[in-house]
Amino acid sequence: MPVIRGTIAIAVASLGFAALAQQAGDGGHPAPTLAAATPSTLPPQVDESALRYFASQGDTRRVEAEIARLRALYPNWSPPTDLSQLPAGPITIKDPEVDRLWALYGENKIAEIRAAITERQASDPQWKPPADLLTALDTAEARRRLINASDNAQWRTVLSVATEAPSLLTCTNVDVLWRVAEAFAKTNQQNRTRDAYTYLLTNCTNSAERLGTLQKALTLLPEQQVTDLLRFERKGGSDPDDFSSIRDDLARRRVERASTDNKLTASADDLAVVERLAEGTSEPGNVILLGYYAYHHKNSEKALALFKTALDRDGGAKAAEGYALSLRDLNRFVEAEAFAYEWRDKAPENLKVYLDVATALLSQDPPPRLDPQVVARVVPVVTQQRFVDGAQALGWYSYNTGQFRTAREWFQRALSWKADDEPSAYGAALASQRLNDRVGFNAIVTQWRSRSQRIADVADGINRGRTPPPAQPSTLPSAAMTPAAPAPVVPPRTAYASSQATEPRVIYEERLPRADLGAPPAQPASRSGARRNCAVTRNPSSLSADAALTLGWCLMELNRPLEAVTAFDRAIKGGSDQTREEAAYGKTLAYLRKDLTAEAALAAAESPQTAQRRTELDATILAQRALAAFREGRYVEVILALGERSRIVPEQTDLMVIRGWSYYKLGRYDDAEKIFLAVQRTGYSDDANVGLNAVREAVRPSRQY
Amino acid sequence: MIKRPTGIPRLLSCLAVAGLVIAFCTLADARRTTWSATVNPLKIAGTISSVDWNAYRSRFIDESGRVIDNANGNISHSEGQGYGLLLAFAAGDRPTFEKIWTFTRTELLIRDDGLAAWKWDPSAKPRVSDRNNASDGDILIAYALAKAGAAWKDARYTAAAQKIAKAIGKNNFGRSAGTMFLLPATKGFGTEDRPDGPVVNLSYWVFEAIPVLAALAPEYDWNGVWKNGLSLLQQATTGRARLPADWLSIRTRLQTQPAEGFAPEFGYNSLRIPLYLLRAGVTDLEWLRTLNQRWSVNNEGVAVINVVTGQVRDKLTDQGYAALSATLVCALDGQPIPGAFKMFEPKLYYPSTLYLLSMSLIAEKYPQCL
Repeated sequence: MPVIRGTIAIAVASLGFAALAQQAGDGGHPAPTLAAATPSTLPPQVDESALRYFASQGDTRRVEAEIARLRALYPNWSPPTDLSQLPAGPITIKDPEVDRLWALYGENKIAEIRAAITERQASDPQWKPPADLLTALDTAEARRRLINASDNAQWRTVLSVATEAPSLLTCTNVDVLWRVAEAFAKTNQQNRTRDAYTYLLTNCTNSAERLGTLQKALTLLPEQQVTDLLRFERKGGSDPDDFSSIRDDLARRRVERASTDNKLTASADDLAVVERLAEGTSEPGNVILLGYYAYHHKNSEKALALFKTALDRDGGAKAAEGYALSLRDLNRFVEAEAFAYEWRDKAPENLKVYLDVATALLSQDPPPRLDPQVVARVVPVVTQQRFVDGAQALGWYSYNTGQFRTAREWFQRALSWKADDEPSAYGAALASQRLNDRVGFNAIVTQWRSRSQRIADVADGINRGRTPPPAQPSTLPSAAMTPAAPAPVVPPRTAYASSQATEPRVIYEERLPRADLGAPPAQPASRSGARRNCAVTRNPSSLSADAALTLGWCLMELNRPLEAVTAFDRAIKGGSDQTREEAAYGKTLAYLRKDLTAEAALAAAESPQTAQRRTELDATILAQRALAAFREGRYVEVILALGERSRIVPEQTDLMVIRGWSYYKLGRYDDAEKIFLAVQRTGYSDDANVGLNAVREAVRPSRQY
Repeated sequence: MIKRPTGIPRLLSCLAVAGLVIAFCTLADARRTTWSATVNPLKIAGTISSVDWNAYRSRFIDESGRVIDNANGNISHSEGQGYGLLLAFAAGDRPTFEKIWTFTRTELLIRDDGLAAWKWDPSAKPRVSDRNNASDGDILIAYALAKAGAAWKDARYTAAAQKIAKAIGKNNFGRSAGTMFLLPATKGFGTEDRPDGPVVNLSYWVFEAIPVLAALAPEYDWNGVWKNGLSLLQQATTGRARLPADWLSIRTRLQTQPAEGFAPEFGYNSLRIPLYLLRAGVTDLEWLRTLNQRWSVNNEGVAVINVVTGQVRDKLTDQGYAALSATLVCALDGQPIPGAFKMFEPKLYYPSTLYLLSMSLIAEKYPQCL
C-alpha cells in the first residue's frame, strides 16, 4: 500500500469522482474517498510491504516465500524488479523480532502481532514498530472490520471504516470496493454507488472483477445507471470485457417487467434476447417468462404452448399456474379445472388459480353440464379454503340448474364465511324466494334491506305484488353482481354432494324445465344492450311500449320478474300487435319464473301467440303445475299434469324423474321402476339409481339383522 | 452466561402489599444510592496471580483473542470479551489484553451504533450470529478499556472506552416514570418491544463500572442508572423468596414482576449481583445479609432458585459459584476463604470467570480472608 498511496488523490478529480470525497449524506459522516488507482495499464496493486521489508533485510528465503504467497493470491501479479536495489528506505538493522512479525502478518495473525508489539514495548519502551508494519496492520484490521460489518448489514460502519482507511479502496481490494458501493446503496446514496463502480471500471483491470462489478450493479442500481456503465466495456487488449450477459439480463428484466403488466410492451429485440436465452438451455425460467408475457399480452394460445414447454422442462408450479391461467383465458374451463386441480397443492398461487378456474367453470352462462366428479372435487377445496367466490359460484350453479335448496345452502355458507357479502345475501334471498321459504327470505330481507337496494327490490316485489317499487336510484351496481340469467336448462346433477345417500333429496328440489324461461329467441340484441340500463329501478308507466318491452326483458335478465311484469303490462297496453304478443309472452315467463302458474296461464291468454310459443308456454305451465303439485304432495295431479304435457312436448328426463317419484309415492312401484329404468337409459344414472334403489327397498324391505 | 428466553410461563410473584413494602425499603436505603457514598474504587491491576491467569487464559482464550464460552458450544460473546479484558488487566497481561481487544474490535464492534454485537459463533456464517448487543458486555468492555487506558496510559483504549460509553448512554439508557434504567439490549426489551416491556436484568448493572464510564460520558445520567438499579434490586427482593428474577418486567414501576417468557428464577445471571455490589463497595445493603444467610449460614449454597416458590432447582457446586458465597461471607463476616478454594481449577468459562473476579476482589479489599 505504501506504493500506492503516493499517487492517489490526483486521479480522483479527473475521474469525475470527487463527489465521493465530499461529505456523505447521512449523519455528516465523511464518505470514504476512493483512492485513485494507478492507470489501468498497470498490474493490480498488491500489498508488497512485507516483501519489501524482507528484501530490505536481505532475507532471501522469506522474500521467496512471500513472492510465492502473493502469486498464489494474485495470479496476474509479478514481483517488482527493484527488490535487489533495496534497502530503499532508512537503513534498518536486522531485527529478528520484526522478521517474526512480518511472518505473522503473512499468516494474517493480526492479534498476535498486536500482542507481540505490546510485549516488545513493555520490555523495551524505546522500541517502535516499523511504520509500514503499523500501516499494514491498520489496513488489515480495517478490512476485516469492514467485511464483518458488511456481512451484518452495518452499512454506516462500513462507510466509516472506509473513510478512516482510504488505503483499502484500491483495485487490490475489489471486494472491499464492492462492499463500500453496496453500503452507499443501502444508505440511499445510489449516485455514490454508481461513482464507486465507475471508479472501479475506470481503474481496475481484471475482467472477471469488472464483469462482477456490473453484476453487482444489476442488483443495486436502477437499470438506466447499469446501462450507462456498459460504456466502460473494453473491446480490445489482452483481457477484453464481455458484458453481453449484462445486456441480456437487462433485456430480460425489461421483458420480465412487461410480462406482468399489459400496459408495458417489450421491444422485439428484447423479446428476441429472451427467446435466444430460452432456446439455449433446458432451464424453464425464460420460457415461463415468455409465457407470462404472451399471457398478459393477449396471446394465450402462444402462452399455453410456452407453458407446455416449460412444464416439459420441469418448470414446476409457476409454469403450471401459467398453463391453467392460459386455459382459462381461452375459455377452456373444463381442461383448466382438471389441470389446475392436479397442481393445487404445489403452491399458494396454484391453489388460488384452481379456485379461480373452478369458479369460472361453474359461473359459465349457460351453466355447463359437468361431470359430477368435477363438482364433487371442487366442493371440498372451496369448503376447506372458505372461498367465498367459489361458494357463490356453486350457489349460482345450483340456482341456475334449479337446485334451489342447494343454492341456498351455498349462499348461506358463503355468508357464514363473509357476513357482509351482499352478493351472497342476494343469492340467498333469491334462492329462499324460489323455495317459498318466507321465514328465511324475510330474515335475509330484514337484515339486508337497508344495505342492498336489489334485495329490497326483491322483497318489495313480493310484498306489493304487482305494485312497482318506488323509483329510486339503486345503491349498488346490481348488474355487475347479478347472477347469470336463467338459462336453457341442462338437466342438473347434484352440485352439492349430499350426505343423505339413501334419501333422494335432490328430487325435493325444484328442477324446473326452464329452457323456456327468460331467454326467448326474440330481440336478443336489444335485451343484451339494455341489460346495463335497467339496474336502476324505473317506473315503466312513463316509457313507450317498446322501451317498456326492452325494460321488461332486461329485468328478466336481472331476475327481477315482478318488476318485469309491470314493464310488460305497459307494453301490452300501448304496443303494436307484435309488441303486445312479445310482452304477453314475457309476462307469462315472468310469472312462471315466480312460480305463479295460474297468473302465467292468464297472461298467456292476454295476447295471441304463435303456435310454437303457445306450445312452449303451455308446456312450461304444465311443468310448473306438476312441480307445484309434487311439492305439495298431490302426486295424482303430478301424473295428470305431466301426462297432459307429454302430449304436446316430449318429456324431459328430470320431469321423468319427478313422475317416477310420484309413482313411488303412490305405491305404484312397477310404474316407478319402469320410469327410472328409462331415465337410467338416457344417462342419468345417478338420479335413476337413487330412485331404483328406493323402489327395490320398498319392494324388498331391508334385511333384518 | 447468557440466558435466553426459555418459554417457561410466568407465575405471579408479587404479593398485593408489595408496593407498600417497597416504598418503605426505598426510603430507608436512599442514602446509599449514589456512588459518592461508596468506598475507594477498585484498582484491580495486579490482583490476579500469573498462575491463575495462565490457567484461565490457556483454557478459554485463543490466539486470535477470542474468549471462548466452552459451556455454550464454544461461542464467544461481548460479555466474555469484556471479562477477558478485565481479567487480563487484573493480571497485568498487556499482550493478551491487546489480543482480546483486537478480536473484540474487529469482530464484534461493527454495529452502526458503536456497540458490540453480542454473539459470535465459530460455526455460523457470518460469525456474528446475533447482531443485537448485550449492554453488560458493552459496559464490561468499556470499563476494562477505561481502566487499562488510564493505568497503561494508552489513549487508544481510553478513546475506545469513551466511544462505547457514549453509545451505551445513547442507546441503552431508558427512562420511565422519571427513573433511569439500563436496557439489556438495543432491541427486544423496551416498552414498545413487548407487552410487559421494559424488561431489565439487574445483573447487567456492573456497578463498579458506572462511575468510571460516567466520567467518560458525563452527558448521560449514569448516577440515575446506579440509583435506580439499587432501588429496583431492593424492590425485587421484597417477595417471599427475597430474590430477584433474572429478567424483570418494570412496566409497572412499583410492582416489578418476572418477565414473560423467562423462567421466574434467580439464576445464572443474578447470582453475580452480590459480587458486583461488593466490588462496587456497596456492602451495607440489607439484602446481602439475607442472601448470605441463605447461601452460607443455612448452608444452601449458591443455587438456581424459583423466586415465586422459593424452591431450589439446581445447586451449583462449581468452585466459581462457591467462591461467590465465600466472598460474601468474607466481606460481611470476615470469615476466611477455605483453603480448598485457593487452588484454581478452571473447567467452565463462566464460573471460572466468577472465581477470578471474586479472588481479585478479595486480594484487593479483603486480604485478611486469605
